[in-house]
Amino acid sequence: MTRKTAKPYVALMVLTLLLSVLAGCGGGNNNSKNTAGNTGTEAANSTNAAATAEATEAAEDLSPLTLSFFAEDPNPNWNNMKDEVSTVLTEKTGVTLDAEFAVGDPQQKIALIAAGGEYPDIISAKADIGKLVDAGAVIDLTELIDKYAPNIKRVLGDNLARAKYTNEDQSIYAIPTWAAVNEKKFVAGGGFELQHRVLKEAGYPEIKTVQDYENVIKAYLEKHPTDENGNKNIGVSLNADDWHMYISVTNPAVATTGGSDDGEYFIDQETHEAIYHFRRPEEKEYFRWLNHMNDIGLLDKESFVQKYDQYKAKVATGRVLGLIDQDWDYNDAQQALKTAGKFDQTYGHYPVTLTSEYKETSFWPTGFMGGYGISISTTNPDPVRTIKFLDYLASDEGQILNNWGIEGKHYVVENGKRVVPAEVQDRINNDNTAFTKETGIGFYWNMMVHYGDGAKDSTGNYYTKNFPEQLVLGYSDVEKETLAAYNATTWKDLFPKEEEFAEKAYGAAWNIALPGEDEVSILGNKMRDITWKRIPQAILAKPAEFDKIWDDYMADLEKAGVKKMEEGYTKYVQDRVELWSAK
Amino acid sequence: MKAITPAMKPELKKPASRFWAKFRQQKYLYMMAVPFVLWAFVFSYLPLWGWMMAFQKYKPGKSFFEQKWVGLQYFRELFQDEQFFNALRNTLAMSLMGLLAGFIIPILFAILLNEVRLQVLKRFVQTVSYLPHFVSWVVAAGIITKMLSTDNGAVNDLLLSLHIISEPVQFMAKGNLFWGIVTASDVWKETGWNTIIYLAAISGIGPELYEAARVDGASRLQQVRNITLPGIRATIVILLIISIGHLISIGFEKQFLLGNNLVRDYSQTLDLYALNYGLGMGRFSFGTAINIFNSVVSVILLFTANGIFKKITKESII
Repeated sequence: MTRKTAKPYVALMVLTLLLSVLAGCGGGNNNSKNTAGNTGTEAANSTNAAATAEATEAAEDLSPLTLSFFAEDPNPNWNNMKDEVSTVLTEKTGVTLDAEFAVGDPQQKIALIAAGGEYPDIISAKADIGKLVDAGAVIDLTELIDKYAPNIKRVLGDNLARAKYTNEDQSIYAIPTWAAVNEKKFVAGGGFELQHRVLKEAGYPEIKTVQDYENVIKAYLEKHPTDENGNKNIGVSLNADDWHMYISVTNPAVATTGGSDDGEYFIDQETHEAIYHFRRPEEKEYFRWLNHMNDIGLLDKESFVQKYDQYKAKVATGRVLGLIDQDWDYNDAQQALKTAGKFDQTYGHYPVTLTSEYKETSFWPTGFMGGYGISISTTNPDPVRTIKFLDYLASDEGQILNNWGIEGKHYVVENGKRVVPAEVQDRINNDNTAFTKETGIGFYWNMMVHYGDGAKDSTGNYYTKNFPEQLVLGYSDVEKETLAAYNATTWKDLFPKEEEFAEKAYGAAWNIALPGEDEVSILGNKMRDITWKRIPQAILAKPAEFDKIWDDYMADLEKAGVKKMEEGYTKYVQDRVELWSAK
Repeated sequence: MKAITPAMKPELKKPASRFWAKFRQQKYLYMMAVPFVLWAFVFSYLPLWGWMMAFQKYKPGKSFFEQKWVGLQYFRELFQDEQFFNALRNTLAMSLMGLLAGFIIPILFAILLNEVRLQVLKRFVQTVSYLPHFVSWVVAAGIITKMLSTDNGAVNDLLLSLHIISEPVQFMAKGNLFWGIVTASDVWKETGWNTIIYLAAISGIGPELYEAARVDGASRLQQVRNITLPGIRATIVILLIISIGHLISIGFEKQFLLGNNLVRDYSQTLDLYALNYGLGMGRFSFGTAINIFNSVVSVILLFTANGIFKKITKESII
């Protein structure tokens, strides 16, 4: 009896299991067929490319084309091309992007992409482009740009030379879309930050040195040790979770001591020799000051323990009086403060240096930086349409679409001037996330070759929205009040100007891409581990022990081979100077 | 084994036909096993091919035959790196601590729970104790850091109000506490869950044994020692040997999420090291070398543990 009924069940189960295994294998087969198909079409494309060139010139191919896209930088507001700007983009080019953004460590994702062999059609790999070049995953774009991308050529002009890979391999693997052309910065997003209420209380004194910065915070904290709910106010909190360490802890050491931002190095502007910047004696004094801040209780004790989200949550409570960070790094928290109406607890930017003999270097001009850019993979089904898509983005029409949105909807032209209507501006200020999601304004900034802030188009309007008159519209009343107290209209007015510095010949050293297997990279990782351990130790130590820890730190670096690394890096910088100066 | 061999001798005469007869008889069982054998082959044996990478200067995108062979270069690099030994120390220390705590505490907890007379209370405690198992490490790490925080952290507040300490302790910034914090959080998260299997083993012990012991006047402690513990001995040994096999591959989630730069000397495990210095930098070969080292050590540990238990208990799982 039982045997009889059991049998069909057993058979059914076996069958199901077998089928599931077969299904798994079947899936695999399909995939491999697909990729084979792709490489086939790609080969066909490259042979046809020349032949179809004129044909496509005559009748632009706008048939729907979906391209996969991977970006190292996250875009939390990405709306799968359903937003208004993207819709127009698809209309004009026929291209839809299937985008993926890095979650977690983007370097690892690029490493996986390089190893996996299934490349997205368009990749923006920033500093990790070397991994893709090594794997043969990206194509040389020199010819494509020359033939199909008049706008990119026009915008970049001579700067196209700065897109070349190395002296040995002068191919263009990435179109530089991070660096802006003819840029004149208006936005100061760095420096040291202070809440407006702190300065108001102190009567808006001059904030130029770390001492000034310390004094106002100290004075405020003495008067208001806690917030209205009895929670302790915090003097300064640092953001030291993983790579934020660079932004909030180690880079300011360079900026406050007159060095320009070259990543982990300080580069001699004459000889282009690189030294690991922590080895400069000036910086020791900066960290001594942080140590002192910790000693007198102005530095948040949790600075080196908290995770990024905890830091943001803390800032969003409005209890943190001062930050040393970049606006994009703490912006989420500041938006929360704005939404809650706590405008006097949002932050202004001040050009703080170690002592008054130094100049704050946020606006040290780099020239056109080249470097980070967008690449087309070898498996891209249609490189020509792709480059045309990128070229459309680089056109005036494309740039204005991305930066301003759609005419009549997100901006209007009044007396020949582009103006953002009041109700739209209101949404930008107070409902930013939803607005960005809906409109998609700004999504393509790092996909397109673009003019920078301060550049004007043929109609005499700025390409970007970041110009003084427009910037002021985004300021809150409290912010304006603070600025007025310092006789400034924008934060940038407080900082030393570009003209006070000599342009760097190599752009910025932090965007020189090193091959991963290179000894300099490996040593760099080791130095980073030592630094990230020792710097917090030194800051949190008792002041009497600071010198000893610092000496140990320097000894550790020497032992790990810092000199060798510096020599290796110097070579890279000098190579770039050579590559860029040869036109 | 020895006892059965003589009985099997006559059957050995025609091994092939015997085998096929048995096979036909058990064909459904074999068919049911096929998917799992395939699964094990595809996911556990095929990837071993990738070990070749450790002996080559592997560049992605090139075929196997185009790679450059470098012999043991990456192993040499590995054994010359101080950080590697540091990572190895941390891995072994944390996994040993985890092994001891994660082994002893669930057994004690299971026995204690088993002795609870009030069924409602027992169920309640058990459910509450295994709930944290379903919380992911990301969330758990957030809870732990918040609890140990100096800024309104519950632990510091408690210690302060009891006047045990005079100012908040930076728990997360002290390297020498890190191993303990990881072990303790692991115990908090997994004890309840690991208890289930022991409770199941205990419930398999016949009640008549306990009844007989009670008639003989055994106290509850004596019952535990002479009935419950021997009753679940097999389960204990198997679980212990299995967890020794996992000793070196403790992963990196906990350490990655709870660690910070101040405690790096205590928090970097082998897996984290492989991630930071191997995969993260695109050094696939180096990463593979670390992984091979991992596997070899795991196998040695497993066989040693099994050997020791075989000697002591005359039981083996391999």
